[in-house]
Amino acid sequence: MSEEAIVIIGAGHAGVQAAVRLAELEWAGRIIVVEEQDGPTYERPPLSKEFLKPGASDEIAALRKESYFEDKRIERITGATVTGIDAGARSVTLSDGTSLGYFRLIIATGSQARALTVPGSELPGIHLLKTRDDAQALRRAMRPGAHVVIIGAGYIGLEVAAAAAKLGCTTTVLEFQDRVMSRVTSAPVSRHFEQLHQEQGTRFVFGAAVTEVRGNGKVQEVVTADGSAYAADVVVAGIGVLPRQALAEAAGIDVKDGILVDADSRTSDPNVYAIGDVTRLIIKDQGINRRLESIQSALAQAVSAANSIMGLTNTKHEVPWFWTVQHGVRLQTAGLRLPEDDIIVRGNPKDGRFSVLYLRDGRLAAIDTIAALSDFTVGKKLVASGAEIDPEIAADPANKLTTAVRELVDETR
Amino acid sequence: MSKTLINVIDREGATREVEWEPEQSLMETLRDNDFPVLASCGGTVSCATCHVFLEKPVLESLADRSEDELELLEDAEHYNPEASRLSCQVQQCDSLGGINVIIAPEED
Ligand SMILES: Cc1cc2nc3c(=O)[nH]c(=O)nc-3n(C[C@H](O)[C@H](O)[C@H](O)COP(=O)(O)OP(=O)(O)OC[C@H]3O[C@@H](n4cnc5c(N)ncnc54)[C@H](O)[C@@H]3O)c2cc1C
Repeated sequence: MSEEAIVIIGAGHAGVQAAVRLAELEWAGRIIVVEEQDGPTYERPPLSKEFLKPGASDEIAALRKESYFEDKRIERITGATVTGIDAGARSVTLSDGTSLGYFRLIIATGSQARALTVPGSELPGIHLLKTRDDAQALRRAMRPGAHVVIIGAGYIGLEVAAAAAKLGCTTTVLEFQDRVMSRVTSAPVSRHFEQLHQEQGTRFVFGAAVTEVRGNGKVQEVVTADGSAYAADVVVAGIGVLPRQALAEAAGIDVKDGILVDADSRTSDPNVYAIGDVTRLIIKDQGINRRLESIQSALAQAVSAANSIMGLTNTKHEVPWFWTVQHGVRLQTAGLRLPEDDIIVRGNPKDGRFSVLYLRDGRLAAIDTIAALSDFTVGKKLVASGAEIDPEIAADPANKLTTAVRELVDETR
Repeated sequence: MSKTLINVIDREGATREVEWEPEQSLMETLRDNDFPVLASCGGTVSCATCHVFLEKPVLESLADRSEDELELLEDAEHYNPEASRLSCQVQQCDSLGGINVIIAPEED
């Protein structure tokens, strides 16, 4: 077994964590990570936050220093793309023409930023934000006074909007829905962040369907369905990401807007696992069918895949969580809300610090905390234990959140 | 410049000396040297998975903990006001050579 190789495609958060976990569990065979980008892999969250701040340094923390991989005997092949998977022969083909046999394969190819498709989408001056190069290009373009038009008011769009406003740009956000971050949070939280951005000079246009980008040799304006045109020197599309699932699909592995995986990150091919942004998690008996794009989820899936390969079962499943920072205000979310959940606002948004609790059948299903990290830590534990909450007690921030618990139900998941 | 060496005590109580490289946060050093700090948030004060204990004089010699850091620490299970830090918030400097760093117990 010692010569058996585990091949990991992609050295993002997910791929690196899987390699690290396998080494930690003392996998006796080879661990080979193939990454198409050159150089060390780095943290992505700062790309839309610290990295875009005025005077920020060019340094981005690497996920692990180079010597770490050597010490662990994790083999890295960089600057090479995996171009095909032969599931029958258990091997992958690389862009340099070589191939690698595997005992188990872990697909960690991540996602790519969704590009605009309207007329004019190829004009220079339109940016996506995924890589360090993207962030550098954006930082160079966002000069004081520049008109920056951001399409999409999701996390990334809003983080960029905050950075642009700080850098002295005239900032406009065009969003199709009627509020910011509508996919991931409730109206009270959206309103709070809208106000925060507006106070810093950002303009929002809701119900805006972008139909065209115009310009002579470079972007000049963004046009929406109602005929309005917004002047733009820089356009940033923050309209979601697409799982990079083509390799898996071509190999006959089940995909449906993401490579389908179970709780152990297994795909439909018993020798192949998939982790991170490229996956869609399906757990039928719990009604789970979702794609998450978060560090937490990428790391957790990496650990579950490595554990499963090593024959460890019962990987503890952490409550999904996420954070975003806009104009210095931190939103942290634990659990996954549904639009039909009952909402409790805890505290007064006017104080700049509050939480929103999402109750499903009386139990805490998710929590958003705004500048209230103590509620986050406690809330995350209560979500994990399926705590039944007394809404009145919970609504008053003078009460500790734990005092609102009626009953703890530890659903063993 | 001489190397900054520190002593790290893991969750089993074993001590190991490691080098803290310039420009690194303590969290990065711990992670690079294989200590079980998950650092889920990559050093952005969003979780408390890089919680460590420092000795009181060392803690006092450092800049104050930010509000965010304190909030996360105060709700960590093993918070000790006189010792707790998030290691992602402690930057290398030469004067920290020789200190003892204890990795806080894991949260459930
Ligand atoms: C600007 C930005 C800010 C973010 N902020 C946050 C945040 O605050 N909090 C949070 O939780 N999440 C955040 N995210 C999301 C988070 O970064 C992702 O969920 C996470 O990085 C996913 O990791 P991954 O390893 O699955 O994918 P990726 O990081 O996309 O890594 C996949 C890797 O695979 C490589 N690859 C792909 N195909 C091949 C191939 N065929 N051959 C070889 N290599 C290949 C790619 O080059 C890439 O390096 C942010 C993302 C971005 C872009």
